[in-house]
Parts: sequence; structure tokens; C-alpha cells
Amino acid sequence: MVAAAQHPQIKLITYAEVEQVKGYIGNFEITIRQKARSVDHTKCTGCGTCWNKCPTAVPSEYDLGLGKRKAIYIDFPQAVPNKPVIDRQNCRKFTSDKCGVCQKVCPVGAVDYNQQDELISDHFGAIVVATGFDLFNWGQNYGEYGYGKYPDVITGLHFERMSNASGPTGGKIIRPSDGTEPQNVVFVKCVGSRDDAKGKSYCSRACCMYTAKHAHQVMEKIPGGRAFVFYMDVRTAGKAYEEFYQRSVMEGAQYIRGRVSKILPRGDKLLVRGADTLLGEQVEVEADLVVLATAMVPAAGSDGLAQLVGFTTDKDGFCQEAHPKLRPVETNTAGVFLAGACQGPKDIPDTVAQASGAAVKVTALLAREELSVEPIVSGVNEASCSGCLVCRPICPYSAIEARTINERHGRETVSRVVAHVNTGLCQGCGSCTVACRSGAIDLKGFTNEQLVAEVDAVCL
Amino acid sequence: MKRIGVFVCWCGSNIAGVVDVPGVAQLAANFPNVRFSTDYKYMCSEPGQETIVQAIKEHNLDAVVVASCSPRLHEPTFRKTLARAGLNPYMLEMANIREHCSWVHAKEKAKATQKAIELVRRAVAKAAKLVPLYESTIPVTKRALVIGGGIAGIQAALDIADSGREVWLVERESTIGGRMAMLDKTFPTLDCSA
Repeated sequence: MVAAAQHPQIKLITYAEVEQVKGYIGNFEITIRQKARSVDHTKCTGCGTCWNKCPTAVPSEYDLGLGKRKAIYIDFPQAVPNKPVIDRQNCRKFTSDKCGVCQKVCPVGAVDYNQQDELISDHFGAIVVATGFDLFNWGQNYGEYGYGKYPDVITGLHFERMSNASGPTGGKIIRPSDGTEPQNVVFVKCVGSRDDAKGKSYCSRACCMYTAKHAHQVMEKIPGGRAFVFYMDVRTAGKAYEEFYQRSVMEGAQYIRGRVSKILPRGDKLLVRGADTLLGEQVEVEADLVVLATAMVPAAGSDGLAQLVGFTTDKDGFCQEAHPKLRPVETNTAGVFLAGACQGPKDIPDTVAQASGAAVKVTALLAREELSVEPIVSGVNEASCSGCLVCRPICPYSAIEARTINERHGRETVSRVVAHVNTGLCQGCGSCTVACRSGAIDLKGFTNEQLVAEVDAVCL
Repeated sequence: MKRIGVFVCWCGSNIAGVVDVPGVAQLAANFPNVRFSTDYKYMCSEPGQETIVQAIKEHNLDAVVVASCSPRLHEPTFRKTLARAGLNPYMLEMANIREHCSWVHAKEKAKATQKAIELVRRAVAKAAKLVPLYESTIPVTKRALVIGGGIAGIQAALDIADSGREVWLVERESTIGGRMAMLDKTFPTLDCSA
């Protein structure tokens, strides 16, 4: 993280979103909205006085509600950049025009309540999409696990925040309901994954391994702690993965092959009822804490970004690669590449490998002075174009523009509007040729004459 | 009059297991404008491509039909083959007799062969109308945009930046790090995630 912030060739723009994408491979023109932080980061030193003095505390999104943050905040102590933003929805200055403490205490005068969103534009040769994943919203679909109502039924990511040394509990695994240390921790795998009825049909790939890690951490961090893992299959395809899983088993993690059918409150504990399909019988485990390995889904808003940038997504909403085996880091839109879980569920080693792959594709592209573009683009026969411009709204790439030409009619010169194709933007889809009533547009390589010859060959 | 060469690929048993590939090649030899027709186990392989190059030279071909897999896979390959033989790379027409034929009609071999013949007939008809096309060039802005500042975006940005190119790394949240920074230790090495 810090390496990215310190690299002289990297310009880091946080708290910002892509607003508009125009252009094409080698020549994208992109506008980015820098959201108002209400803090001037050129002045701010990240001293922390403001968030220490801020009187408003709200549940921290970063800690998934396990801890609190202030209205002026950084997500976690090692955040990059290590400078705060103001959450205007919760800040008293913005909700009731009172307080203003952070501005008063800031020693460098960096707090600026009047800061506005800012639009930044520039040109780019290539785009890497790395928008990551969210976790499946299990509470909506899994009534048998309590619809998210039992505080001690958490996700793997909650467990991560707790076991993280700079997380809300300082690295201590506790029960969110009463803050005590759990003894029996039950892990349920494939919640939302591999479940056509209630979730997603795919395997989320990372859960088997992080659950093995969580089980190890329960036994490592909690004296007398016991880990029970309900699983459908244990999938450990990866270098040193099977060994890692076996280590958790050797340490005492109890793997139970079967699904959990119900989680019920019993006293201040949870009764986990499920099947052990290897023994062929029902089992019940009294748990202090239940950790669900929930499915990975595309990050919220990634579908909108796909539309904005102009590439396709698959049936589950993940970014569609150009070819599953041979072009896994490219999209079907030239110059747009994919890295990480936005393309499909994957773990960190695979993500890093794919990101480096995408980077190589980008450097290969940027190493060239100029690009040759496929000549399979539309062309307008100006003599037969009537200038109706029906083709213009039909073009999905905004490649058609109106052009005025001068023509001789007898002794007079007459100006007339015709359609013109910007060959840089045209992707050769052919929509305009179908729409053209006068047959004035032809797609090179797929001309009307060529297509008719093909049809004749098959039909006559 | 065009001088067309037809090259029908077995794709190992992917096509030849269903379609009578030598039969298709023999029949195609009689299609209009076809001067040469043959088949081979793997047309995309080095010897396969060499067959095309040699035939173009020997028979003075000016358009080529390759009947094999989807053009999404090997059209760029065969365009390069044509260029190597001195032809305009766009004087190529492909007939997809794998995805559109042998794979989807695996249980109807005779009908699949008939369909393959029709697909090749279509491709030959189009090849007769092909004209050379020329690629144009566009300049490249030597700067990359990475959208998303998690481990994937950070790694991609660092690798691109290390090649000396300028990178903008855009992140929606107030910090980079994404999901990875939320994690504690990471498998299988159990090192920290910061």
C-alpha cells in the first residue's frame, strides 16, 4: 500500500470515482470526480487531533459495525493516505450547522467545510479495472441462520476484522453480543456459494482456505478454543494449500461433512444443527460464535462502471474476460483490462498473478508509439447518403457524426449534411449498416455485396 | 477471377471425429474459384501454417478459406500466415466448422458433414468478393488508469509504474487497500496484509 503511495510514477486519487469515459484504446479521455473530503490534504499532516476531538461517533463501515469511528475519520490507523475525510451525513457541522470543533483544533487550518467535488480530466492509453468484490448478503436469504438477527452469527470478514491487530478489538476474537471470548466456534462454508436455490451456483474459491486459517487462529488465539467446520467439499487447489488445511486438521479443527440446517439461540449460546453425511446422522454443536463463509459477489456499482467504461459483464455480474483461457485479463473492449476478483472470485495469490498479467498487457500497449487498428470499420458512401442520420443514435460507440460536404449541382455548389464514421471509435459492430435506409453505409470486410454472395451460396 | 485456396482442419478429433474432413476438402476443390484444397490435422500448427504458405506461393492464390475453429480464436493467427506468404491479411475468410458444427452436432455425423460443406461453400463465396484492407494507425497516450485500489489495483499500478509509465490509481473509498487491508494474516504463508 505504502509502496503505491510513494511511487514517483503513481498518482493516487482516493475518495474519487470515474465520472465519464470517452475515446478508445490508446486515447481514452477520462473524467474523475474527486469527492469533497472537507479536508485540504495538501495542508493536513494527519496528526489526528481532529478525529480525537470530534464528538460524533458512528458505527465504522470499515469494521463492519464492530467498532466506531468519528464523523471526521480515517478508516484504520495505517490508512493510505493517512489523512481524514468528513462524513457529511453524520457531521454536526453539516447536519445542524453546529460544532466546528475539528476546524478549531486543526493546527494547520486544513479543515474546509466549503470544499466542493472537483472534476479532473486527462488522457489515458489503457484502463485496468480492479473493482474487487463484496460479500453476498446472506441475511436476506438464509432464514435458517437467523436472517442476520443473531449478533454472534458473523461472516468471515467480521472474523478478520476482529483478529486483525489494528482492528476494533485489537486482535482479540470476541462474541459481538457480550464481548466475551468464545470457546466453541462453528464455521459454515458455502453460504451463498454453490447454492442454486438461495445463492450463487459458483464456488467462491477462497473460503475453504480462509476457513482453514480461521480455524487455526481460533486454536492459536483462544486457550481451549475449539473449531468445528461444516463443509460440502474441501477444495485446496493451490501451492501449499492442502498442507495448510492438513495443518489445521492436525491442530484439532473438527471437519464435519454436511450442511447446517438451522441455527437456534439456546440461552446465551447458539445451537447449530446439521448433518454429518459421513456418519449418516444428525449432529448438534453448541456454539459461542458462528462464522459464515459467505460467497463473493461483484462489488456494488461495478455494473454501472462496466456500462460507463463500455465492457460486458457475465451472468453473475462479474467482468467478462475476452476468452476464459487465452485472454483472461482482457475485456472485449480494446484497451480495457481486468485484475482481481472483479473478473470472478479469487484469492490473493491468483489476484496478484492476474494483476501482474494485466500490467504486462498495459506496458506492452504503452510501449508502442502507435497502434494499428483493424480496418473492419464502417464507411459511408457520401454520394448515396441522404443525411437522415438515423445511424447516429443507433451507434453504441458514438462513432457517427454529421459532416457537411459541398457538392456541385450543375453550376451551383450545394452544401449538404452526410454521416461520417470516426474510425477510431468505430468497433465494427455493423449496427449502422442495418439501419441505413439508402444502403450508404458498408462495413468493410462485411459489405452488403459480400453478405449477399454468402447467402446466395447457401440458399440458391 | 479469384484464385482461392481452401484449408480444412481436423482440430485433432474435435472436428474430424464428427465431420468427414478429407471429404469436405475434396468437395471444396470443385467450388467456383477454388484452385487448391487440402486438409490437415492441426492447421494452426507450424506445419499446418507452412502448408498454407507453400500453397499460396505454388498456386498463386489470392484469397484463403480456413475451415476450422471460431475466428475469435485463430483468425489473428491465420491473418499472420497470409502476411507471411505476402498476401494482404484480410484476404482470409474462416468457416467455423467446430463451434458451429462438430461440437453442436456430435451425434449427427452425416448431417454435420453436410453442414460443414455448406459453411465452406459460404466462405468460398465470400472469399471471392474479398478486397484487401489496410490497417490504420493511432497514437498511444503513455499513461494508464487503474480503477480500484485493492490488492489487484495496487499490484497492477506498481507493475505498470515500474516500467516507467505514469499511472493514476483511482479509489472510491478514502483509503487504498480494499478488502485485503481488512484482513489479518493471509494464507498460506500467514504473513500480514498491510
